[in-house]
Amino acid sequence: MADKAFLFDTSRCSGCHACQIACKVWNELPSTLELNGNKWSGSHQNPPDVNGTTRLIMLYNEMENPAYTTTGEVSAQLATKRVKWAFGRRACQHCTDAPCSNICPAGAIFVDAETGLVTTDDSKCIGCQYCSAACPFEVPQYDEGTAVGTIQKCTGCVDRVHNGMKPACVSTCQPEALDFGDRDEMIKKAYERLEMLKARGYSDAMVYGEKEMGGLHVIQVLKYGAAAHGAVENPKVSPAVALAGVTKPLTGVVFPLCIVGFGVMTALAAGYKRDTLVYNTDTKDTIILETGEVAKTGTRPADTRGWTDAVFENLPFMAANRKKKGGE
Amino acid sequence: MSHAITVSPEAQASDQKFLEESKNAGLTRYIKRHSKQARITHDVTIICCIWLMISGLFVFAPPLTQLCPQELIFAFRMSHRIIGVVFCAVPLISFFMAPSGARHIWKANTCKWTSDDVMWMVMFFPYLFGAKWIHMPDQDEQKSGQRFADGMLWVCGFLMAISGVILLLGSMVFTLSPGAHAVWLFLHDLGFFLLCIFATAHIFLGAGIFQPYRGGKDINGNKVKGCWNLMFGDGMVSEADALYHWGHWAREELESGENVVYKDKDGNIVEFPKGK
Repeated sequence: MADKAFLFDTSRCSGCHACQIACKVWNELPSTLELNGNKWSGSHQNPPDVNGTTRLIMLYNEMENPAYTTTGEVSAQLATKRVKWAFGRRACQHCTDAPCSNICPAGAIFVDAETGLVTTDDSKCIGCQYCSAACPFEVPQYDEGTAVGTIQKCTGCVDRVHNGMKPACVSTCQPEALDFGDRDEMIKKAYERLEMLKARGYSDAMVYGEKEMGGLHVIQVLKYGAAAHGAVENPKVSPAVALAGVTKPLTGVVFPLCIVGFGVMTALAAGYKRDTLVYNTDTKDTIILETGEVAKTGTRPADTRGWTDAVFENLPFMAANRKKKGGE
Repeated sequence: MSHAITVSPEAQASDQKFLEESKNAGLTRYIKRHSKQARITHDVTIICCIWLMISGLFVFAPPLTQLCPQELIFAFRMSHRIIGVVFCAVPLISFFMAPSGARHIWKANTCKWTSDDVMWMVMFFPYLFGAKWIHMPDQDEQKSGQRFADGMLWVCGFLMAISGVILLLGSMVFTLSPGAHAVWLFLHDLGFFLLCIFATAHIFLGAGIFQPYRGGKDINGNKVKGCWNLMFGDGMVSEADALYHWGHWAREELESGENVVYKDKDGNIVEFPKGK
């Protein structure tokens, strides 16, 4: 199976929320039943962001149209509307180089080999939220307060796709703003739509997702440009995530080396019987009990040996050399 | 101690008399080193630390995570949070209960390094591999290496506690941005890496896995408890062990006698016979 992708054409979207609801229904994700249970976003955007029970939201961005005039002198087609209403779609972008999948210790987020979509296995999620930290789109959500108890993000409906169906959100989109199919085909369609928008005077229109993060599996036609539709321009993984990728293997190498080192030290020191020292407060002598000899005298005798002498003087081969020289 | 020194005949006679009297009394001198509160704080903290390292390892190491059922990992994670709170709280409570003790630890660890301290540090790695042959210079209450290693344990402890609390609160009380989350996670991982080295080394030495840190003998040739006893026993160190590990400190304590007690062969604290 070729890599699959979503196509989202913002110029066709009517902001009806049906995709958001279809996602909830198919994935059996609850919504609050409380009056005003969701914080108001200031627009039709509801809930304000993806969360522990919401994998997909529609973004609503209302902007003043600077070209609009009240005199009725319409100089261009675009100036006929006072408000530019840019709809966006906020959900997993299904990166080719998916950092969430790379960092997940439990294998709960993985790239589906057949479709290239980044999907999840809830039964493996341990809730560590490494994926949340790694995602440049801030998509994976973990809500402690919900009964779900695992990371939530769009799975690409791979269960449906593997059975020949389109994802739930796509299947319900009435104005056909959403499409799903082979990635190459979706990219081709996106550029056709872009050409049409440009011809109509939408100079900021663009295709998003072809190259970002190694290529996304959500291709978007953004009528008013990336920022207007809530798309992340130049998404990048935090350098801290890359550093985390260093500490793990480093620990994996250094810690066993330490254990081996401790083993060697233990073996070399095995059987060592050190002298028993006692201190006579009357003479200030530190005495070796076994021989009765005085090892040190004074309450604070400083060590006057050079450190090389101190290290090497008693080593077996040095002692043997000394004995040999003394004998000669 | 390989090099014996020559002392005056009077001093020699006094030393011999001292040895005979001590042997006849059958008592061993001990120095009180760690208070009960210090030992409890250390023991609870280190047990928490070990549990936190084990439970954290199951999230840190993907092969281990994937080996275990999700429920077990979940239990580890929850225990990591609860024990983490204990790990942070116990030293803080102990600090407020005895700030003078905390000051004492701080002073002992931050005192000026002497030439013996520098020499000890330089000789430490050769010593670890040649303890039978290398005799270390005398030390004060905290060996120079101990000051460095304990300092690193304190730094790691603070790093783990602060990053752990922020990560915990960041998922329960407020929302950390993914960038901030990644930075704190990295710091937590870095602390774990450092702890893997310094905590293991601390256990290797402190628990007496390394032979020289096991107990030596008392004046009557009986085996005494090693460094392990300092924190997990009664907090006392025998005269011989104290002179071996912290020579300068041991002599100061023996001179002052303030923290010195005598124990019989059964380990009971007794009065030293009058007139001796």
